[in-house]
Amino acid sequence: MFESKIVEGIKAGERKALASLLSICEDDPEKANSILNSFERRPSHVVGITGSPGVGKSSLINAILNGSKEKKIGVIAIDPSSPFTGGALLGDRIRMQSHATSENFFIRSFASRGALGGLSPSIFEACNAFEAFGMDMILIETVGVGQSDIEIANVADTVVVLLSADGGDEVQMMKAGLMEIADIFVVNKADNIMSRNLLSKLKATIEMGKKEIPVFMTNAIQDEGVDELLKGLDERFKTISMDGTLEQRRKMRFFDHVRSSVRREIDMIMQKIDLSEFDFYGLKKKVMEELCKRS
Amino acid sequence: MIRVMISKPGLDGHDRGAKVIARALRDGGMEVIYTGIRQTPEQIVQAAIDEDVDILGISILSGAHMKLIPKILTLLKDKGSNIPIFVGGIIPDEDVNELKKMGVIQVYGPGTRTSEVIEEIKRYFEHANV
Repeated sequence: MFESKIVEGIKAGERKALASLLSICEDDPEKANSILNSFERRPSHVVGITGSPGVGKSSLINAILNGSKEKKIGVIAIDPSSPFTGGALLGDRIRMQSHATSENFFIRSFASRGALGGLSPSIFEACNAFEAFGMDMILIETVGVGQSDIEIANVADTVVVLLSADGGDEVQMMKAGLMEIADIFVVNKADNIMSRNLLSKLKATIEMGKKEIPVFMTNAIQDEGVDELLKGLDERFKTISMDGTLEQRRKMRFFDHVRSSVRREIDMIMQKIDLSEFDFYGLKKKVMEELCKRS
Repeated sequence: MIRVMISKPGLDGHDRGAKVIARALRDGGMEVIYTGIRQTPEQIVQAAIDEDVDILGISILSGAHMKLIPKILTLLKDKGSNIPIFVGGIIPDEDVNELKKMGVIQVYGPGTRTSEVIEEIKRYFEHANV
């Protein structure tokens, strides 16, 4: 699809145009940036859903979609790429397939393509594409993460950390990293008898800190507790829109977006240089010179 | 990067074949979207379009392929999509020819080597210049 056709299509709300634009985001992010530059964007509420593999991220997104029929929502579902073959098995969609034909929702699977931290190298471009399409909300499902995969905090307006009762003791919750980036906690798999126990430990851990963080309990595959979470998400978006948090998060996102784009330029430059010709400072100078030429 | 979607339409739940192929294509260096079992043709077609996949693989072992495949092909055409389709499963020889006449690029039966599927898909895109 040609660029002008994509721009027109996005403005007219055509799904195929968005599908093509998202492919450009993945395959040629700088081209995507130049296309996206021509759009005025109304900020969507960007919500990151993160947590360990199998905790219920895809199922929670499906439950959120079940309860949000009147909203326009874009879903970015990320699964890992193989470091050996580059291939990927993208299976998040399975839990959301009942919404494949819903007009208001657009679900797109991304492979992590070498990015660390649980996201895709094109995450900023993908978010901007969904915003240009006029989504009310963008749900980002990270790769199933460990304790230090916190990149989502640089992208999302709201980070939801999902936990379930099989994830270890209280000390695990006191550790730095993932547990620190939560704006909202969700204890999923509420039907597990140990969930109450986890909930009280989690609340005790939160009380040790300075930030008051809301906690919700869900059983996503039965849609239980999801209405309360949706209300919580809407309330948070209202609050952060007014108290300056949203503005600050957007600034951070903008900053990181530019940084990721500059890094890409550096990678491209370094791929073309014969590295054996330079010593450390010589190469550094050469890269910076080339970078200045490109801008 | 080749993006493939593997889907199972209709009511049969025998997903071993679909999973083996999805895994093999992953190991063949492709990005594989697996949509799970019991999908309607509408769900499969919309997902393939939204995901902007290069090729769609349909697995059927129920015997309903002469109903489901034409439906999927028609829906794709109606939506202005030209995503190529390959089929895997239990498909009688006479139906294989019919399906190919309708536009299915290849049909894989039991005993097909996964390496053959990977190579044929890669070759298809070399020739198609994608």
